[in-house]
Amino acid sequence: MVKIQEQAWIMEHEKLARQTYRLMLQSPEIAAAARAGQFAMVRLGDGLDPLLRRPFSFHRIFPKQGIIEILYRIVGRGTGKLSRIQVGDSLDVMGPLGNAFRLPSCDSSLVVLVAGGIGIAPFFALMQDLVGRPDASLHLFYGARSGDELLPPQLFDGLRVTVHRSTDDGSLGYCGRVTDLFQEFMGSALPRPDAVYSCGPLAMQYHVARWALNQGVDAQLSLESLMACGVGACLGCALPAIGADDPATDHYLHVCKDGPIFSPGSIQWQKIQMHRALPQTFLYN
Amino acid sequence: MAKDSNAPGASPDLSVQLGPLRLKNPVMAASGTFGYGEEYGAFADVEKLGAIVVKGISLEPRAGNPPPRLVETPAGLINAIGLENVGLDHFISGKLPYLHGKRVPVIVNIFGNRLEDYAELASRLDRVPGIAALEINISCPNVKQGGMLFGADPAMAASVVKAVRAATTLPLITKLTPNVTRIGDIAQAVEDAGTDIISCINTVAAMAVDIFSRRPKLANIVGGLSGPAIRPIALRCTYEVAAAVRCPVIGVGGIFDALDAMEFFLVGASAVQVGTANFVRPSATLEIIAGIERFLQVEGISRLQDYIGTLDTRCVFPFAEESCALGD
Ligand SMILES: Cc1cc2nc3c(=O)[nH]c(=O)nc-3n(C[C@H](O)[C@H](O)[C@H](O)COP(=O)(O)OP(=O)(O)OC[C@H]3O[C@@H](n4cnc5c(N)ncnc54)[C@H](O)[C@@H]3O)c2cc1C
Ligand SMILES: Cc1cc2nc3c(=O)[nH]c(=O)nc-3n(C[C@H](O)[C@H](O)[C@H](O)COP(=O)(O)O)c2cc1C
Ligand code: FES
Repeated sequence: MVKIQEQAWIMEHEKLARQTYRLMLQSPEIAAAARAGQFAMVRLGDGLDPLLRRPFSFHRIFPKQGIIEILYRIVGRGTGKLSRIQVGDSLDVMGPLGNAFRLPSCDSSLVVLVAGGIGIAPFFALMQDLVGRPDASLHLFYGARSGDELLPPQLFDGLRVTVHRSTDDGSLGYCGRVTDLFQEFMGSALPRPDAVYSCGPLAMQYHVARWALNQGVDAQLSLESLMACGVGACLGCALPAIGADDPATDHYLHVCKDGPIFSPGSIQWQKIQMHRALPQTFLYN
Repeated sequence: MAKDSNAPGASPDLSVQLGPLRLKNPVMAASGTFGYGEEYGAFADVEKLGAIVVKGISLEPRAGNPPPRLVETPAGLINAIGLENVGLDHFISGKLPYLHGKRVPVIVNIFGNRLEDYAELASRLDRVPGIAALEINISCPNVKQGGMLFGADPAMAASVVKAVRAATTLPLITKLTPNVTRIGDIAQAVEDAGTDIISCINTVAAMAVDIFSRRPKLANIVGGLSGPAIRPIALRCTYEVAAAVRCPVIGVGGIFDALDAMEFFLVGASAVQVGTANFVRPSATLEIIAGIERFLQVEGISRLQDYIGTLDTRCVFPFAEESCALGD
């Protein structure tokens, strides 16, 4: 698999929702090799703060134009710094890294996507791939804490996707968690899907994983972990996995090289330790 | 400092002799930060390295610590990987062949829970062709048994080195922990026990907590700090170790560019290892090699050897002449 380190020029940088930005990068070699679901390690400036690169999924990929896009949400120092980068600046990008989404084998399939918050990011690249399948039926369940965190509806134009929105505070669409909305639908309005994809907070993905395991449906989850290298060298991005032979002994998968796309059955969910994000009020006042 | 009258622009000699180990240049990738070489194959030409030190190997595979295993701190990274590794057998059959295909000296970092583990690792690696040296890790802060315990006590450190020395004729590097009161004492003990070379430092014991959730940021609670944050500590340790022993010393800790590396040569390191910088710039080691060459050229020094350990610690009084005049 080709992996490239490239100096990518910022062509556009736009705020799309609360704390949420889209970066368009001129990165011809990475764009030619990248596939939906894979990610890039981006260096944020050339100083020591932040020190490490940060991982971001490919939001959209335009191989012919040599363009990749990143959709990101400000959660800390690195993404805060990223939000101040200007058109015409450049970023040092390594990629494409990790595995990619597998596309459904049959053209006329029912495909369901579940996205929580910034988890929507890699699904645009996936929908770009699925748009060439006129017989496929595409449903996206897309939730956030509040309506102003959701991407504007016109961004979904032309993707032939039915979007079901939810917000925790009820300010837009279904009031409640996106996994509840998804499970209500799957229980009634929609038949058994041929493919389920999920991306978002771990707690959300856990519900999708449990549902998929119970239903015996194939699901592909895009999971996260803190990363230092992104290439399998530091072994820092471990997730507890179901051991091949002995379930009692510890066994880990690595998000950067075994993932970021995992099947629900490969993760030992009970052993994951959540670490809470900083309350927004303490960031960037 | 002896300036050389060689023609400017001539390529300086970067080769170094570390006891029995000769390297074409003094820059190595540090253990645990460059995998087994293959991981960075697409980004950096490993054949240009002085040597590559592979991830620490134990007799049996180790799963490592539960996540989170990493946290970034100011100019640093705290890790608690817990020496996850594929184990000796799979290392030899599955990881070493890639490096054998490359023209680069391979240094194997070894780690055991017991003295006998170190000895067995050494004797089994002694029979494997294509290994340039062993680096004995008695300095990992992230494991409950062995590791730093061995490295924190001069007598225990010496016993590990003696056991390994008896089991192999390969060049031996002993890697020291900074988490001790007097690193020079440990250095002397491992030199007397027969190590050919000393590398220092491994990571600095550290921790980070989340004040909102009131939880540690690492599942292991504590970990080892690396990166630019520890460079002054590593420099001091290298200085003290070089002063305490006759054997060559490899400086490790927070080296991000060639000028950082020159600091370690100045205080007495004969070579350096680069760790965390690889994560940020996969070609960091290669840039450092080129930068050392440029530094020597600009300074008119024809051989790196001539710069090593030339720190002048004499006190300089800047007003010598006037003071004479005043004294009259
Ligand atoms: C494979 C992969 C793909 C990703 N794709 C995207 C994407 O497309 N868009 C996007 O906005 N983000 C994405 N992320 C998450 C992104 O990498 C983090 O938000 C980013 O590293 C935070 O950096 P920071 O310096 O702003 O935050 P920091 O200051 O480092 O941390 C701030 C807070 O965010 C939490 N945090 C940091 N890194 C992560 C992480 N990797 N996962 C979960 N929480 C984290 C910290 O625990 C902390 O509470 C992805 C992560 C991975 C592993
Ligand atoms: C993720 C990670 C894993 C490491 N694994 C090992 C190891 O297996 N054996 C070892 O001797 N040192 C290990 N180290 C320590 C480094 O080799 C090096 O001594 C230390 O990181 C300081 O150098 P740096 O600041 O350049 O990274 C590891 C360091 C890091 C960051
Ligand atoms: S991030 Fe280093 S191994 Fe995955």
